[in-house]
Amino acid sequence: MATFADYITQNEDRDGVRFSWNVWPSSRLEATRMVVPVAALFTPLKERPDLPPIQYEPVLCSRATCRAVLNPLCQVDYRAKLWACNFCYQRNQRGPQMPLIFLYVVDTCMEDEDLQALKESLQMSLSLLPPTALVGLITFGRMVQVHELGCEGISKSYVFRGTKDLNAKQLQEMLGLAKPAANQARGPQTPQQPLSNRFLQPVQKIDMNLTDLLGELQRDPWPVTQGKRPLRSLGVALSIAVGLLECTFPNTGARIMSFIGGPATQGPGMVVGDELKTPIRSWHDIEKDNAKFMKKATKHYEALANRASTNGHIIDLYACALDQTGLLEMKCCANYTGGYMVMADSFNTSLFKQTFQRVFTKDVQGSFKMAFGATLEVKMSREVKLSGAIGPCVSLHAKGTCVSENEIGTGGTCQWKICGLDANTTLALYFEVVNQHNAPIPQGGRGAIQFVTQYQHSSGQRRIRVTTTARNWADAQTQIQNISASFDQEAAAILMARLAVYRAETEEGPDVLRWLDRQLIRLVQCRRPSPSTLSPDESSYYRHQFNRQDLTQALIMVQPLLYAYSFNGPPEPVLLDSSSILPDRILLMDTFFQILIYHGETVSQWRKAGYQDLPEYENFKQLLQAPVDDAQELLHTRFPMPRYIDTEHGGSQARFLLSKVNPSQTHNNMFSWGQDSGAPILTDDVSLQVFMDHLKKLAVSSAA
Amino acid sequence: MEDMYVKPGNQERGWNDPPQFSYGLQMSRTPQRTLLNKRAAPPVSGERHVPSATPPVHPGKPPGFMATPPPPAGPIRSQKEADRSQSERTPEMEAVMSVMKSALMSCRQTVKGQICNDVEKRLRLLEDSWTSGRLSLPVQRRMDTLAEELKSGRWDAADEIHRSLMVDHVTEVSQWMVGVKRLIAETRNLSPQHLELFLR
Repeated sequence: MATFADYITQNEDRDGVRFSWNVWPSSRLEATRMVVPVAALFTPLKERPDLPPIQYEPVLCSRATCRAVLNPLCQVDYRAKLWACNFCYQRNQRGPQMPLIFLYVVDTCMEDEDLQALKESLQMSLSLLPPTALVGLITFGRMVQVHELGCEGISKSYVFRGTKDLNAKQLQEMLGLAKPAANQARGPQTPQQPLSNRFLQPVQKIDMNLTDLLGELQRDPWPVTQGKRPLRSLGVALSIAVGLLECTFPNTGARIMSFIGGPATQGPGMVVGDELKTPIRSWHDIEKDNAKFMKKATKHYEALANRASTNGHIIDLYACALDQTGLLEMKCCANYTGGYMVMADSFNTSLFKQTFQRVFTKDVQGSFKMAFGATLEVKMSREVKLSGAIGPCVSLHAKGTCVSENEIGTGGTCQWKICGLDANTTLALYFEVVNQHNAPIPQGGRGAIQFVTQYQHSSGQRRIRVTTTARNWADAQTQIQNISASFDQEAAAILMARLAVYRAETEEGPDVLRWLDRQLIRLVQCRRPSPSTLSPDESSYYRHQFNRQDLTQALIMVQPLLYAYSFNGPPEPVLLDSSSILPDRILLMDTFFQILIYHGETVSQWRKAGYQDLPEYENFKQLLQAPVDDAQELLHTRFPMPRYIDTEHGGSQARFLLSKVNPSQTHNNMFSWGQDSGAPILTDDVSLQVFMDHLKKLAVSSAA
Repeated sequence: MEDMYVKPGNQERGWNDPPQFSYGLQMSRTPQRTLLNKRAAPPVSGERHVPSATPPVHPGKPPGFMATPPPPAGPIRSQKEADRSQSERTPEMEAVMSVMKSALMSCRQTVKGQICNDVEKRLRLLEDSWTSGRLSLPVQRRMDTLAEELKSGRWDAADEIHRSLMVDHVTEVSQWMVGVKRLIAETRNLSPQHLELFLR
């Protein structure tokens, strides 16, 4: 007999869905007593290599307020050629193949070594882009330059002051761009304007010129005096990028890839002044309301993020600097549009270079794994309503009968837009059971949910993926044990954690934190005046990753994995506790953001003595290699690339392991989540277990 | 194979920079379900497990050679090893350049003059780099293979090699590689009669 665990895994593998409860309490009253809401983690483009795209349109219900898609849960009468929902075919001509667009926004205020590495990465990317993709280049420092990509010898560019923002209309005039067609539809009409312009050209046409242009890029020429930061007009540069695409390619899949070498110090969107002696805002400054530029800058980038997402355009942030660059203020650009946020120390690092390469990874059919311009619509059985979604999306403000008044996250809608997504992007969706208490179990005994994801595949083709799934209803009065057994604690932990992070960011005050255990609070604690040493940018980065990765990856962030390698047997998982650190063992720790290999004292001494080089100690050599090989497995697939630490007993880098297993030693540690002094020593494992048991007990006792 | 390697990250510029995989290694990897996804169950009672042994002052030696043969080594090899296993043939610059030039000549009949000139400019840069000894041996070898694939009409294979060179050796090749890329793209689009002359 299959267990619930098997059932959960099978459903996740097939549908990309993990529910907090796999049997749903059949009334609203009982559902609220469960504490943990009925909710789901949904990965719209979960890889299903076995699913060929079907070359005909999906069959829709003809009822205008319904429009659900024919699916395996429908009753079909083959003889009468009827199915349980009335249907009509909707004529849907395939739109023209729209090209993908990549607009590079490049900071030139950085050291020559870094700029050279960045230039080379950009040149390399031209070899990875499809030949028909359109590409453009904007560079900035004190001024912002929009480069014309011609083939006729002299390269021209339009220069803008970095201090003054421009709206789309002004930009259109200054760049001499034609007005786009009034109704840029994806329908059967062909677009009115030519499919490229002077600033965005096909790779196959201008790759040689653009390679040269990139090769000739110089560091920003404006001199930087002692004690000052370079004048970086990032705010205006991004504004021009958003406006350029808005004018020329609304509603087409496009990525604005911004490469940032430091904080914006000039013009709208500046996050710090140019005096080095005034540091960029810290959490302390923000608590004390002493962050001069933060509110205005955040507003500036939020406006850009809204414009971009309205047009289906993605904004990626590649922030490579030792200091903060303003990810806190700019995070909405990535979070609203589904863009990537990558944080590294320099462009001349493997972390940046390989992460950037991986953006262009192809699947087995040779298409990019990235997808564009997705809309997600959710339909539900009438006993359930939608409270909202948390993840890299924006609302499409589609009010339907299944939309709940109680909003969670991005609510008040049953449709969302995800401008940029890939096979791992995962949304958290929250539901509300509305069936009245003591009302009979709905006919059929199961509640159903349909996820309809329309998107632009990287081949240019528009596709639709429909996932329909159902779960049993149960009367909590008589079948509480069924409901209890269906609990997926991993999904519940991540769903609750995302909720907590969302609330901590949007609401003030400690109310939010009251109903969460300290384990999960640590993700959001950075807002409180505690000795947390995570910078605002780092918090924004970690939360961004947490809010878009799938369950398995998110769980690693909350509860890192620890494996032990020794002569005593095969590699085995061990407790994230100081007792797991033994002298004759090698440990491999994965926190998602770091992969760490730690050699115990004895192993480390053997290694120093060189036993691995002697033929009769071949097995020791293998022992040393085993965690390295396993780490490489992780490094091969993870996006973004994590840090990689090879350390040993007594090594300075060992502190990253010790801080995770011994929370009380974390006061000055950069990568702990922040910990109040005097906290009892709890391992991560035990507190997560305690948290889940607590929730379960609450669920059972409140229904009794 | 010398194009399958791992090299360490840039520890000077990025703390704990992860290792860098070559293009060939990344492409050849078959997707596997990661085995590292289990967690240890917490202890039943509240008892903490105390480490049983104090670290010895003299560590002695690791356990000796096992009777069972070890599992086969993974695909990761050092650069040195990989170089040695490669064939000993030295790539000839003349042979490679003659293939390129011949392809370009076939293109001149139909492809715009400006483009051909741009390609030619870059082929000259390639030739200069090679003759002045600025091209490393791995790059020379791969260019040799690229020329072979181009000559045999295996366009996708040639394209793949150009990509692998851009990813693994961008500093050495970026000045001229885009010309080779364009040459492959234009040559494969030639009409059959123009192509025939080149492939002969």
